Amino acid sequence: MSDPTNLALLALGLPLLATILAAVMGTCSTLAKWAHLPVVTAFAGSAILALLVLSKVMQATGSEVAFLSTAQTWFHAGNLQVDFQITVDPLSALMLMTVTFVGTWIAVFSVGYMHDDPGYARYFSLMALFVFSMCLLILASDLLLLVAGWEGVGLCSYLLIGYYYAKPSAAAAARKAFLVTRLGDVGMILGIFLFWQAGGYHTNFDKLFAHITANPPDSVTLTTACLLLFCGAIGKSAQFPLYVWLPDAMEGPTPVSALIHAATMVTAGVYLLARAMPLFVLSPDAQIVVALIGGFTAILSAFIALAQHDLKRVLAYSTVSQLGYMFMALGAGGPVSANLVVTAAIFHVFTHAFFKALLFLSSGSVMHAMGNVIDMRKFGGLRTLMPVTHITFLCGAAALAGFPLLSGFWSKDLIIDMVYQASEHGGSHATLYGLVFLTALVTAFLTAFYTFRAYFLTFWGELRTPPEAGHHAQESPLGLLAPLIVLAFGAVLAGITVEPFAHGFSNLLVKAPSVVLANSVLHVEAEATHPHFDFALAGISTLLALSGMALAWWHYRTGIETVPAALKSVYRLSENKLYVDEIFNGMFVKPAEWLAVLSRLCDGLLDGVARVVSFIPRLIGALLKPLQNGLVQFYALGMVLGLAVFLTVVVVRTSQ
Amino acid sequence: MKSLADVQNALLAGAVHFVLPEVVLVGTACLLFVLAVVYPRRTAAVGLALIGLTWAVALTYSVGSGETTAFWAFVEGTPYSPHLLAAIDPTGLAALIRWLALASGFIFVLLAWPEIQDHNAGEYLGCLLVMIAGSSLIGRVNDLVSLFLALEMVSIPTYVLLYLPLRGRGEQEAAVKYFLLSILSSGVLLFGFSYLYGLTGTTNLGALLAVLSAAHQHAITPMALIAILMVIAAFGFRISAVPFQFYAPDVYQGGPTGVVAQIAFIPKFIGFVALVRVLGLVIRPQDGLPFEASTTLIPLVLWVMAIVTMTFGNVLALLQDDLKRLLAYSGIAHSGYMLIGIVVACGLPGNSTPALSGVDATLFYLIAYGLMTVGAFALILYWNSQERPIRTIDNLGGLGESHPLSAALMTVFLFSLIGMPMTAGFAGKFMLFVSAFEAPVEPPMQNLYRILAVVAAVNAAIGAVYYLRIVGVMYLRDPLHPVSSARRAVLPLFAACLCAIGTVAFGVYPRLIADSTQQATPLVEVPGNAAVVARM
Repeated sequence: MSDPTNLALLALGLPLLATILAAVMGTCSTLAKWAHLPVVTAFAGSAILALLVLSKVMQATGSEVAFLSTAQTWFHAGNLQVDFQITVDPLSALMLMTVTFVGTWIAVFSVGYMHDDPGYARYFSLMALFVFSMCLLILASDLLLLVAGWEGVGLCSYLLIGYYYAKPSAAAAARKAFLVTRLGDVGMILGIFLFWQAGGYHTNFDKLFAHITANPPDSVTLTTACLLLFCGAIGKSAQFPLYVWLPDAMEGPTPVSALIHAATMVTAGVYLLARAMPLFVLSPDAQIVVALIGGFTAILSAFIALAQHDLKRVLAYSTVSQLGYMFMALGAGGPVSANLVVTAAIFHVFTHAFFKALLFLSSGSVMHAMGNVIDMRKFGGLRTLMPVTHITFLCGAAALAGFPLLSGFWSKDLIIDMVYQASEHGGSHATLYGLVFLTALVTAFLTAFYTFRAYFLTFWGELRTPPEAGHHAQESPLGLLAPLIVLAFGAVLAGITVEPFAHGFSNLLVKAPSVVLANSVLHVEAEATHPHFDFALAGISTLLALSGMALAWWHYRTGIETVPAALKSVYRLSENKLYVDEIFNGMFVKPAEWLAVLSRLCDGLLDGVARVVSFIPRLIGALLKPLQNGLVQFYALGMVLGLAVFLTVVVVRTSQ
Repeated sequence: MKSLADVQNALLAGAVHFVLPEVVLVGTACLLFVLAVVYPRRTAAVGLALIGLTWAVALTYSVGSGETTAFWAFVEGTPYSPHLLAAIDPTGLAALIRWLALASGFIFVLLAWPEIQDHNAGEYLGCLLVMIAGSSLIGRVNDLVSLFLALEMVSIPTYVLLYLPLRGRGEQEAAVKYFLLSILSSGVLLFGFSYLYGLTGTTNLGALLAVLSAAHQHAITPMALIAILMVIAAFGFRISAVPFQFYAPDVYQGGPTGVVAQIAFIPKFIGFVALVRVLGLVIRPQDGLPFEASTTLIPLVLWVMAIVTMTFGNVLALLQDDLKRLLAYSGIAHSGYMLIGIVVACGLPGNSTPALSGVDATLFYLIAYGLMTVGAFALILYWNSQERPIRTIDNLGGLGESHPLSAALMTVFLFSLIGMPMTAGFAGKFMLFVSAFEAPVEPPMQNLYRILAVVAAVNAAIGAVYYLRIVGVMYLRDPLHPVSSARRAVLPLFAACLCAIGTVAFGVYPRLIADSTQQATPLVEVPGNAAVVARM
């Protein structure tokens, strides 16, 4: 068991086992209410194993650290050979750790939250499958195996967002999530096969990267393939224009939102790009697109988050915005060395997982107390009523806003630093990177403002509770609070302890093979192993964060929202999400419906044609039927005539 | 060194060792005829027939590959090829054909049970055993006279069998039609054989083909073409290829189901085997095929026959409501598919070694066809009863509910006939289509093989319609005339189970049979002990 790949395989297998166990338990009504046991145990076990894997990776020496399990052929057809093989390297080990750790606490929270739900076992079974798929995605050492996990994640998100399947809005949200991410997946599959074709028919990461970096295809192919791959990330990680599914995804149970936002789904795109860094750094054009999309998404969703009334919706848009940050960082790879940008992005994934899970679970706690009401206009001043939730939410909000020394501060600052450096030496795209840098700063301010708007509206002012709350309106039980407290510590401390002084991430990620390769492509010596801390930038971002928080305090400290007349129109625009859904509806959904109507007409037409075609054999049959007239003399004549025809033709043709 | 006369005499004297199981079968048949007079009991007759078959199997097993060794031993140290001298040739296809004949014998005995009574059991089973012996001989006779004898050992008992369970006018009509048309085809066959003998001066098949091949190196003899066309026409009757198929629908519809099951398989089986032997496709003459695509039109004739046969069978089956008639047309269509392999084999140059030689694909399909068609007839026999006869497709309504096991078996056979994956029908079609697609695209046939494969694929799609219709009626429709659930003979059901197991097993793992069919039809034969070693 000393081989880390065995530990990782076990960490991968446990959730799958839990899925099956929970599903089996669901068939028996007495066992169903214990369905959380295998899942929580498996998650905790996986988290411990992931920790062991991580420690093995940390102990490993050398400039490049990767452990591969023995390859088992999954399928093989012609040029396409796909192996079941997992890779344990710093990148996958860190992601595995994050996912399983946060997943464990979300599962613990779910035990209390989903209590007495009729689909209890189904819920836990799907949760486990969700985490399994994500782990498979992370550990896969083959693009197509990654796709298997990727699609598993998509399926589980569909099933969990639509968990309350009897509710039409939940079913619609599930469908939306599935279809929208699917749209990105189409591009991703095309990208994979483009790389497969250009990369010597390899889908294995190492072989593919080696082949592509050794014989780079022409820049058009490369950029196209990179952007197609990025399409998948856009869908899964909710970037513009495919982010629309994520805010609706909170139709599922709140812990599911926490899981999707913090651990198992939206980070998949970031991970994919980090893993495929050697391919992306070859194409500066693709990289600037990644950075621009990231920046645009970040500011757009931050703007939309400003005027949302629904607490979870604010958080959802903040996730979209934070993911935008991660893509800004990844897009800076090229002008900045790969190990730094991957560190920045993955570090932000890590801290974000803590504070976003915390915020969602805290809002879940609020929702639990308010009788499933989540509209911030209907409640307020919960500070006194729910003191623990208040403190944990505050921790998460401050971390998200980038309050100095909290986790979000460090990772966001690192990203802003990366983008700034990219604008300094970004070559031909320096101006555009400068634009991205400005966007990142403005977004930082907006983030602080909307986060604390939500905080003040929920917890400050006079105590107001909605009628639905009833006798529920009290602090949540310990079962719900324990995960909050653990995650709150994470949100506060996860940043400072790991990276800024210890350089845990940067020292580790610089040894990931894909990062090493990307660096060698860029001809960067890894001398700048860890990012330097830029006090000027940190000062600016601190100032922005504090001013955003101050503005929110000044405006919302009463817990009541008032909109100045001058800003009414801007407020409306934000409240209605910039009408993006409506625009999409007009641009894509309606034409698609017309297309469907047209297709139905065509279908009718084709059906007619098919009927005519299928009539032909019957017609021939009917014409030939009289031959079988039952008269034996006719039959004999037929045989002899047939023979005569053959004889005549053959003899005449031969004697010619 | 042994002289030619010595070798000939030794071969002639040793020939009896190569036909021992057949001798046992015919001997048992004689005993059965006697038994029918002195002790007319169904159980005794079936028991005796099974003993005979088992004995034949035991003999076949004990001989193993020893007979090929013995065969080559006759010519050891001499420059003569035994294929050109012996009347009985136990190499190549012979062993496989004998096993298949014996296996089908067991199945047909099981199917005979509900159709025979005490008074006709002896005759029925005796005739059946003679048929089995005849079809087993087809694989090894190497002489025109003994070939004709073997063919008639199948045909003549069939006339008797059709006539034996005489019940009504329909059966009489079927028996007479089959008799008349069959002797017509036998006459044509003899006509062709006599021309072949006249041209070459020998009745030995190997020598005859060698002479023809050598002659055709220089110029094509039109008389040889006439002769071979007559032979093809006669075998075309047995495999029910258009335009020699006329009898099939009427005979299948009118004949007793158990005998029809035999007619659906055994004549096709021997027809194809005899055809590939007479065309020299199994043991190729040294100078190449006597009737190959580059010099003669014979492969083209077979090509036309294949296309017309499969299309004719399928389009007419579409219009059928009568179950047995439908299976007759389906049998015609499947003969068309099987001809593909023969057309492909005719066009292959002697030195090529494709993955599939065509003949092996045809043989595989023949086995698959036998399993699924005989299985389907077995189930018709099982469901059929005096008060509720199974005639039309509508009679099968609701069987999915009332007889779940047998309906499921029927579905397996029908799916296999369609060519669904995981069934023997699929594996067979796949091999045939691949052999057609892999065949060399060279001047004589150019892309005709590909066209053949495409036409066959279209035909397979048409075929799916009427097979699926039966499945639909069984599972989706309420019974119009419910099949009675009275006690019935389980032996046909047992036979159907065996066929279904084979269908699925050879579909899931085709190599079980494909390996033997491939070994039985080597493209290039190595003479002497090397061949024996290769077969061990």
